[in-house]
Amino acid sequence: MAEFAARPPQHGVGSLAVSGEVDIAVVETLLAEARACLNADVSGLVIDLGGVTFIDSSGLGALVRLRNEAAQTEKNIALAHVPPAVARLFEVTGLTGIFPTRAGD
Amino acid sequence: MPGTQTSTGATVPPMRGPAQGDTDAVLNNQPNQKYWSDSATGDLEQRAGHSRRVAALICVIGVLLTALSSWAAARVDDKAEQRLLQVQTKQAAAVLSTAILLIEGPLRTALSVQRVAGLKDTTAFERFMAASVGPDKSFVSASIWHRRENHLTRLGSVGVAPALAPGRPATEAYLRRAFHTTTFTVRAVSAGAQRRIAYAMAAQGSDLVVYAERAIPADRRSPVASDSAFADLHYAIYLGPRTDNTSLSTTDMDPSTLPLTGTTARATVPFGDTVLTVATSSGRHLGASLSQRLALMLLVGGIFLTLIAARTGQQLVRRRQDAERNASTITGLFERVEILYGQQRELSVRLQRALLPHAIPNIPHLEIAAEYMAGAQGVDIGGDWYSIIGLNDDHFAFVVGDVSGRGIDAVAVMAHARFTLRAYLLQGDSPAVALEKCSHQFDISVDGHITTTVVGVGNWRTGEITIANAGHPAPLLIAEDTTEFVEVTPGPPLGTGPTTYLSTTFTMSPGATLFCFTDGLIERRSESIDVGMLRLAATVQTSAEEPVDALVSRALASLRSNDAADDIAVLAFRWIPIR
Repeated sequence: MAEFAARPPQHGVGSLAVSGEVDIAVVETLLAEARACLNADVSGLVIDLGGVTFIDSSGLGALVRLRNEAAQTEKNIALAHVPPAVARLFEVTGLTGIFPTRAGD
Repeated sequence: MPGTQTSTGATVPPMRGPAQGDTDAVLNNQPNQKYWSDSATGDLEQRAGHSRRVAALICVIGVLLTALSSWAAARVDDKAEQRLLQVQTKQAAAVLSTAILLIEGPLRTALSVQRVAGLKDTTAFERFMAASVGPDKSFVSASIWHRRENHLTRLGSVGVAPALAPGRPATEAYLRRAFHTTTFTVRAVSAGAQRRIAYAMAAQGSDLVVYAERAIPADRRSPVASDSAFADLHYAIYLGPRTDNTSLSTTDMDPSTLPLTGTTARATVPFGDTVLTVATSSGRHLGASLSQRLALMLLVGGIFLTLIAARTGQQLVRRRQDAERNASTITGLFERVEILYGQQRELSVRLQRALLPHAIPNIPHLEIAAEYMAGAQGVDIGGDWYSIIGLNDDHFAFVVGDVSGRGIDAVAVMAHARFTLRAYLLQGDSPAVALEKCSHQFDISVDGHITTTVVGVGNWRTGEITIANAGHPAPLLIAEDTTEFVEVTPGPPLGTGPTTYLSTTFTMSPGATLFCFTDGLIERRSESIDVGMLRLAATVQTSAEEPVDALVSRALASLRSNDAADDIAVLAFRWIPIR
């Protein structure tokens, strides 16, 4: 189970905090929540992964998909507070360079 | 999702049912059993009939019990009434006995008075009896007689003319009877319309006899004072043992309604040479009123409770029938869902297995083992696969890949990736080039899935291996004394977007084993992926000396948890050059 918390955009950047286990069961919810945040009013979205305890390949796929969709409308997806285990998974799956991470995170 | 699991083993599960072409027949013919009850009219009527029968049965039993208890209560009440009435009747008889003394006493005294006075003078007798004779007194008429040699002479008299007139033979015969009894004689007489009781008493040891008549009220009625102890009783007093109207002496009832009915009791009281018979009936209930009403209360209450019980019974039967019907519907649906899940899963597994290599090719100097295991949970299968392909005289290619997500779509993407890579590799592309070309053909926004894969090309003559990696866990190289993951820089998974890949080339030592796998073998939700990778390395290290298929089996057996959701593909080969 995962939980999602969208916060109001600041300086034109939306924010979505994700926590829990991001797996095949919640992928559709993640996509829907993030797409809702990526509306016309924002130039980008920061997905805060600080509370994520597990992410599987479907979850990684959803993040890639969001990044590709955002790029089509010239928007950016950034990840924040990526936990070490998740960062390591990004490394193993060759995704480290795909997502910009916010400074200081 | 209970019972949907068909097989978690590495072998193809035995197919249930007919071949694929007959799938529709399987779906259509299977449900001969009923999944839910028809709400046909007949069924409803049958159910309603059943509940009505139950209600009727409850009614019958309830009414029977009610009637029985009411009857018993009434019986008890009747018996109590009878007993009470008998007690009261005996008391009334005792009172009557006392009243008789009021008759006997004056007569006996009058006899004594006359004996003392002698036969001539009757003044004293007349003066004494005057107190008892007259209207509203004990007697209406009294006289004193003397017997001499069977002939009776009237000495004196008080009051009205007697009904038994002097001088008549019947009168003398009656008076003579008095000498044969120690008490007095009694008989009913008539003076015109008036009924009277005639008394005659003889003095013991003398020839005197006193005669008196007492009037009976014309209607013979004498109501009981409402404050008397016997106010609750109706009574009829008869002269003699018989209780017909001619013997009736006194009653509080209309004589035409006699004899008394209902609960009655009878007692006799000695009265001169005859008896008085006292018949009674209760004017109203003698016992406690609750006792009287109990039977009625039981009857009304019992019928009321019976109706409630019948109604409740009917409802319970209906509810039970409904519950049984619902339960069978739900069970039927569950069974149906399970059958459908089973069929769907079976089809998916068949598709997946159809896409895996049917036989591992013979490649010189290679000892090859491969396994695929479906995930334990749910109907959805994963998109893991492996390939090993002979390319030319001295080269072979191998692939292990994993499509994210599950289900038929994932399997379709897997098939796409597998055969695309195979085509590029067969036409001579290097692993990195094959992956780069593939990266142009996969798009998660279109497919909905990303694919991680390790692609390698080897030379079985030299043991030289070149691999490239699209986001996949690196293979393990198991040598005689070391086990380590091949260092190959991973590029992004297929589907991320067009990109290029780096490759790594190394040479296997003779007898070394390259162990490729998918993340189902190492992934645990609670831990970092490094922990799972180290555990795998440690496990295969201990089996390094075993044949490759034993090594693969052992790794799967010890690392795969029973409830693992993800599927697993493993491909391992050992290079055994000719020395």
